[in-house]
Amino acid sequence: MKSFAVMRNVLRRIVRDVRTLALIVILPLFFVLLYGNSFSGSYKDLTIVIVNEDNGLASVRTAEVGRITLAVDLAAKFVAALDPQMFNVVMSDDPDAAAASVGESGVWAAFVFPKSFSNALVNEAVRAGGERKIDFDGNTVTLLPGEPVDGPKTTLMLDDGNPLVAAAIHGALETAFSQMLATQQSSLTAAGLLDVRALYEGKIRILDFTAPGVIGFAMTLITVLLTAMSVVRERTSGTLTRVLIAPISAWEVTAGYTMAFSLIAIFQAAELFLGSTLLFDIRFVGSPVLVALVIVLFTIGLQGIATLISTLAKNEAQAMQFVLFLLIPSIMISGVFWPIETMPATIRPLSYLSPLTYANSALRKVMLAGRGIGDIRFELAVLGAFALVMLLLSVLSMRRQAYTA
Amino acid sequence: MAAEQIIRAKGLRKRFGRRTALDGLDLAVTQGQLYGLAGPNGAGKTTLIRTLCGLLRPDEGEAYLLGWRMPSARVLSQLGYMPQDYAVYDDLSVLQNLEFFGELYDLRRKQVRERANELLELVELTDRKTQRVGTLSGGMRRRVSLAISLLHKPRLAFLDEPTAGVDPKLRRTFWDYFNRLAEQDVTLVVTTHLVDEALRCHVVGFLNAGRLLTQGTPDEILAETGTSNLDDAFIALQERREGGR
Repeated sequence: MKSFAVMRNVLRRIVRDVRTLALIVILPLFFVLLYGNSFSGSYKDLTIVIVNEDNGLASVRTAEVGRITLAVDLAAKFVAALDPQMFNVVMSDDPDAAAASVGESGVWAAFVFPKSFSNALVNEAVRAGGERKIDFDGNTVTLLPGEPVDGPKTTLMLDDGNPLVAAAIHGALETAFSQMLATQQSSLTAAGLLDVRALYEGKIRILDFTAPGVIGFAMTLITVLLTAMSVVRERTSGTLTRVLIAPISAWEVTAGYTMAFSLIAIFQAAELFLGSTLLFDIRFVGSPVLVALVIVLFTIGLQGIATLISTLAKNEAQAMQFVLFLLIPSIMISGVFWPIETMPATIRPLSYLSPLTYANSALRKVMLAGRGIGDIRFELAVLGAFALVMLLLSVLSMRRQAYTA
Repeated sequence: MAAEQIIRAKGLRKRFGRRTALDGLDLAVTQGQLYGLAGPNGAGKTTLIRTLCGLLRPDEGEAYLLGWRMPSARVLSQLGYMPQDYAVYDDLSVLQNLEFFGELYDLRRKQVRERANELLELVELTDRKTQRVGTLSGGMRRRVSLAISLLHKPRLAFLDEPTAGVDPKLRRTFWDYFNRLAEQDVTLVVTTHLVDEALRCHVVGFLNAGRLLTQGTPDEILAETGTSNLDDAFIALQERREGGR
C-alpha cells in the first residue's frame, strides 16, 4: 500500500527537523506538568486582615459565688484554628483601615471581632442552653442564664471581585465558626454571627470575573499568531531582506509593523469588548480609554514576543508551535480562571513573568471596579516596560533575520 | 585615467559549517562595468553577492562598495539588489509592490509612476500592472523583482540570476538593457549559471568552489583557453584546475 510510503515520508521529514521533533516530545509533557501544578483546586495563601478587639473575657452569673469572669479568648482561639495553608493572616488594630484595605494589594477580606465577642458568645450559649455546671478555681459552679447580650456579631468585609475566592473564604470562616460554636454547646449559628459586607454586593458573576482575562487571552492569541506569521512570511519570501537593504532602518521597519498591528489590535479589542458587553452583558463600569491604553501597551509587548518567535522559527508551522508553547501556559498561570494565590509557590514566580497577569489585573480593576489610572499605574508601568524591552529586542531580531535569511 | 573602483574586495572567506563558500576571494569592479559572475550551482555566487552587499559578514577579508567598508548603511540608497528568490509581495499588485519600494527609496509618487511605466515596459508587464503578483507565473514574478531592484536608478546593482526562468527573447532584451545601463555609468554585477550568457558582459569572472578560476573579457578568456565558447572555456578551466591539484 502506497499510504505507508506517504506515512514514512511524513514521519521522516518530521524526525529530521530537530526543532519540530523537540516540540512534539516536550509540549504535551509541559502542559501536563503545568496544569497539574498550577491548578491544585485548593486555595492557598489568601491574605485576610483580622482585627481582634475582643478582650477575651466572659462575665457570667453563678448560683454559688455571684458574678465571675472567665478568660475564654474565643476570638484568639478562632484565629488560631484557621487553616494556615489557606490563609495568610495579618493582624491589625484599626478596623477602618482594615476594611479599606479589602480589594487592595491582595487583601481578600477583613474580619473584625467586636470588643465583647467572647462575653456575648458565652452568655448567649448559657442563655440558650440553660443552667450548666463548670469547674471554676477547683470548685463546681452553676452558670445562670442572663439577659440577652447585644451585638456578638462579627463583620466580614469581603472582596467578591472573584466570586470563587469570596465563596471559598466565606465557607472556610463559617466552618471555623461552627466548629468553635460546637465547643461552646451554643445554639447560635455561624450565619447569625457573621455580618458579611461584600465589596461588589455580589453583583460580579463568574462570567464577569473571567471575561477580562479571556479577552486578554484572545488578544494574545490573535496578536502573536498574526505578527509571528507575518514576519516569518516576510522573511521566508525574501521581502524582509529587500526591505532592509533599502535605506530604511530596522527601527523604522519595526515601528511600522508595530503601528499596523496596534491598529488591528485596537479594532479587535473593540470587537471583543462590544461583543461581550452587548451579547453577554459583561460588567464594564470603567473607562474605555484606559482599557484601550492597557490593550495597546500589552499588544505592543506581544508583537515583540511574536517577532522573537519568528526569529527562532524556520517556517510558519514551527512559529505556530512556539506560539502554542508560550500561550497555552500563559492562560493557566495568569490568574484568568483561578487566582494566582491558588498556585504552588514554585509556579507563582512564572505568573509574575507573564504579561497577561498584569493585563488581566488592570482590565479587571477598570472593567469590574471602575478604578482610575492611579489604581493601575503599577500594571501600566510593568506593561510599558515590557513593551519597550520587546520593541528593542524586535529591532535586533529584525536586523538579524534580514541578515541571515 | 583609471576608472573609479566601485567594488573592491580582498581575501573574502566565508564558511557555513564545514563547507567553504568563499575561499579567499579578491574582486575589483570599476564604474560602468557590466560584470558577469558565472559558475555552477553552489560555486558561491549568491554568497559573494550577499557578502558584498553586507547581508553576510565574511569570516575573513573585507569588502568596499562605492568606497565604503561594508556593511554600511551609507551605500543603501545607491544600491540595487535583486535576490535569487522572488522577494515580492504576493498579496499586492505589481504597481503596489513598486510603489512601496519607491517610498522606501524616497521617490515621489510621480517619479515612481514614471519609473514604473518605464520598467514595466522593459519587463513587458505593462498590461499586468494592476494584477496581484501572486497570480503571476514564476518568470513574471522574477521580472517584477528586477523592476523593483532598478526602480530607484541605483549606481550599483547586484542582480542574482535575473534571467532564470525568463524566455530567450526577453532574456536578450534584458541583456541589451543591462548594456545600456552600463553605458550610463551604472555598475552591474550579474550572476548566471548559464555560462554562455556571460558573453554579453564586459568582464567575466568564473567562480568555482569559492574561488575565481579566471577573470577577464570574454575574448581574453576564449584566447586563454583556446576555446570557441564560454561553456567550453569554463570546462577547460575547471579541468585544468583539478589536474593541477
